[in-house]
Amino acid sequence: MNSTAFFLGKGGVGKTTLSSAFALTLARRGAKVLIASLDPAHNLGDALDISLNGKVKTVEPNLDALEVDLAYWVDKYLDDSRKQLKANYSYNVTLNLDSFFNILKYSPGTEEYAVLWAIEDIHCRLGPLYDVVVFDTPPTALSLRFLSLPTISGLWVKELSKLREKILAKRQTITRLNPESPVAASCVDKDDDKVYGQLNTIGARLRKLEQLFAKESFLSVIVNPDQLSVDEALRIQDELTKLDIPLSAVCVNKQGVSDMVWEQNPSLARYPQFVYDFSRGGISTRENLLTIGAGPIADHFLKIVQNPTTERKKK
Amino acid sequence: MPQSFGHIIKSAIHIAAQINRERATGLIEFEEKELENIFALLILGGFAGLPSPPPPIANELLPYMEKDLLMLLSRTDLAQDPIGVLAGMFEMG
Repeated sequence: MNSTAFFLGKGGVGKTTLSSAFALTLARRGAKVLIASLDPAHNLGDALDISLNGKVKTVEPNLDALEVDLAYWVDKYLDDSRKQLKANYSYNVTLNLDSFFNILKYSPGTEEYAVLWAIEDIHCRLGPLYDVVVFDTPPTALSLRFLSLPTISGLWVKELSKLREKILAKRQTITRLNPESPVAASCVDKDDDKVYGQLNTIGARLRKLEQLFAKESFLSVIVNPDQLSVDEALRIQDELTKLDIPLSAVCVNKQGVSDMVWEQNPSLARYPQFVYDFSRGGISTRENLLTIGAGPIADHFLKIVQNPTTERKKK
Repeated sequence: MPQSFGHIIKSAIHIAAQINRERATGLIEFEEKELENIFALLILGGFAGLPSPPPPIANELLPYMEKDLLMLLSRTDLAQDPIGVLAGMFEMG
């Protein structure tokens, strides 16, 4: 068993609480679990009653946790690129490089990519050490952007690869007809062309993440018995459908928080439902998390993980 | 020492063949350079407001694109007179 679970939903619906309760339930049943918070405004440590940072920390036997430091991932990525650039370019071209990278740090999309790199690192480096990896996600906007990035960026990479192939094919023709042309001195083979190679590497990484989100993950959306969180859950469902990412369950949290009559939206009602009553006393300790009753969703998750094809076909 | 007549003829044939080869590939070379220019513009155009892939992808490709970057800069000179370049290639005017 080795699988990944994501809990999505509007800010404040209880993603951290439910994902912590889910992770703790699985850990107490004997599975080795890692829970990672991707939310830039972390509160996973508060839910688990332990101080966390970007490094893996043992919460209790079988349960480890970390809060992803997005600033670290942005810096690390830009630093790697800067070093690579300095190594490949001539000295005079890289004189003003630092100011360029300082601007890039704040360019749109960098934070979403930082989340992706963090997920990739957790999945590839830490994933094999655990039975289950649970992600507590940031609010909807950022979550949807990082979930869609592998598909959107994959399209760009695919088209750029095609264009590069065309360039290489033209270079090959020129070299064949006129070996003395200056073009003959440049790369003509796909295997030798570093840009084409790099496009392939990026493409492979993005496909792996796309596969992780669409085929190997358990995605649960959390709603409260109110219209706003349901509307947002419907938007999440729409976006995930467009990306071909299946939703595995719907959690209705804080049931009974008000006396208002509420009925689940039919579009969300077709997924397995897990209902959690509003805890009037609050959740103040780690043991309180177990009183939420994450057992049924843990059972459903294990059923999907142990028999993925049948369960996905049923959906 | 003066070159033999045979050697001069051989050189003349070689030069004529090379001129023909240059003519045959001139248009393909122009196309190839334009494609390279478009590729570089697509990758780096985001920094100048053109539609481009997400900046982090451009950033990952940048370390391998020094030649393309220099090509892009040199092509900006030709951008002032693209018709002239084409006319020169087809020996018009």
